Amino acid sequence: MDPFIPIMVILPIASALFLNLLHKNDRTVKILAIVTALVLPIIPLLTGYGSHYFGGYAPLSQNSAIAQGLPSLITGTQLFIFHPAITYVFASAQKVMIFILGIVAFFAVFTALNETKKPSGVYAFLMFMGTASVIAILLSDDIFNLYVFFEIAALAQVGIVIASNVKHNYETALKYVILGNIAGPLLLLGIALLLGVTGNVNITDIIYSIKHGLVNPQNPVLLMALGLITFGWLYGSGLPPFHTIKSALYSKALPHGAALIQAFTVFMMVALGVIILRIFSYLPFSKMAIIAVSLLALVLSITMAIVQTDFKRILGYLALGELGYIGIGLGLGTTLGITAGLFQAVNEAIITAFLFIGFGTVLYKTRTSDTRKLGGMMFKNPRVALLVLLAGLAMAGVPPLNAFQSKLMLIQASLQAGVPELGIIMILLSIVTFMTFMKAFYTIYMRPKPPELVIHDYKIPKATIISLVAFLIICLILGLFPQIATSNLQTLASSLV
Amino acid sequence: MSIYDLILKRIREIQGKTEEEEPLTNISASSMLTAEITLISSILIALIMVRLINKALMIVLVIAVFFIALMITPIMPKLIREQNDSFNNMIFYIVLALGILIALFYWGNLNV
Repeated sequence: MDPFIPIMVILPIASALFLNLLHKNDRTVKILAIVTALVLPIIPLLTGYGSHYFGGYAPLSQNSAIAQGLPSLITGTQLFIFHPAITYVFASAQKVMIFILGIVAFFAVFTALNETKKPSGVYAFLMFMGTASVIAILLSDDIFNLYVFFEIAALAQVGIVIASNVKHNYETALKYVILGNIAGPLLLLGIALLLGVTGNVNITDIIYSIKHGLVNPQNPVLLMALGLITFGWLYGSGLPPFHTIKSALYSKALPHGAALIQAFTVFMMVALGVIILRIFSYLPFSKMAIIAVSLLALVLSITMAIVQTDFKRILGYLALGELGYIGIGLGLGTTLGITAGLFQAVNEAIITAFLFIGFGTVLYKTRTSDTRKLGGMMFKNPRVALLVLLAGLAMAGVPPLNAFQSKLMLIQASLQAGVPELGIIMILLSIVTFMTFMKAFYTIYMRPKPPELVIHDYKIPKATIISLVAFLIICLILGLFPQIATSNLQTLASSLV
Repeated sequence: MSIYDLILKRIREIQGKTEEEEPLTNISASSMLTAEITLISSILIALIMVRLINKALMIVLVIAVFFIALMITPIMPKLIREQNDSFNNMIFYIVLALGILIALFYWGNLNV
């Protein structure tokens, strides 16, 4: 067991608690937050692949010392291979996703600490708690443990919005919490039904029970559990009908907070989507449902994005529309499709963070996100404008940037799977995404500055520029060398087919 | 009245209801029109996938949806009205989605 596996979760939690305690000591908060954020993407690179059993309770089949004296009643049955402990599994796909989440968290924290006059320990606490929760969700092979961190991640997102001090943020946060109070318990009920039928909360053991006939795969209670878990997945991912509240949540957070919240959403969607596929892929209906919901997210979110006038809301809807691409990849159920979906998730987490922080500079200089009141920003910040333009091109899937590769893979996967219609819709909506972005870009940067617009002389912090350049470099690297990510993600995809 | 004029009229109606004082601009009109075309074309293309279940059903659905879309156009103003930040609307669609999801998963898997 590699000790670094639990440290990926324990370190940000411990750091978050210290930051909360030391919230009045600005310098300590800044140093501790930067050091922790810097370490986050490094740990997955140093950690060896494998499983971690909390309490050291490995399955009996892997513990010869205990297994030797046991009766055949235990060694001859599934009890011998079942997992008694909460198990974390770290493999190549988790490595890529946790690394990317760590990168986004680092630049979000880095930008937040430099854009605010007084670093907030409480804000950093929320950012790290959310990050730790999503890392745990990606690692956990225990569905109940996953649920606990799912709830913590949801609360951390609400906290980030409440701490943002944006107009009407409390109202949006409250709505999200109330809707979470409907979806969260239903997800838990789904997990409880799964436990009731299979007698297990370990995902690997649940799959074993279903595949080896220990439970009836067509048991109606199991089908009900699938429905409820899928509903929880919709809430966690901000897929319809939760896309309205999720986009509102993004728009009420500060740009660095929104950058991190969208990364949480992307990886929560992937983690729960993969679990649905792992447990229920024997039901063809589960993949059809994933595709249907993803298509709905794609069409509804992108068409809603075009008609918005607040650039944070435009980005929020565009980010949710991009989730549709991930879902289509997962729903296709082929190795190429799932790899493309996972790759799209990695790309989206980076690109949307790039866009939120990039457009955040406009908010920093003008204190408004209403595109009707904006204009002329190109003359004030031509370099930032260029970086934002490149981020938009990346989101639309323009080569040689990263989303081009993942979207191309998705289209190829849909053609291979015999559903070219999905490919056509994805191309169509990529064009509309590009148009939506260009509309926002034109109104903010290219048209003449409205006379009533006040552009403050605050200098954009170097940390923000560094973050934007770093995101651009990652987009270029993943666009030119996609195999860096896809070779790692393919292993997980193959195991799901 | 052309479809374009009809869309402009509906946007003005919505602006009136939400008490927005901004004039109707070229950008907002073209955005709404793009959204409308995207929505209808995406739905029609998605419906072609029904061919995997039944080709005759696909033809009937595509033709039916095409004519319904023509009759109820513009759809986007209605869609925007439904997808606002009203808590009541959100709860309604969430409960509706839960009902559809459970019904489809429960009976869909048992009977397909």
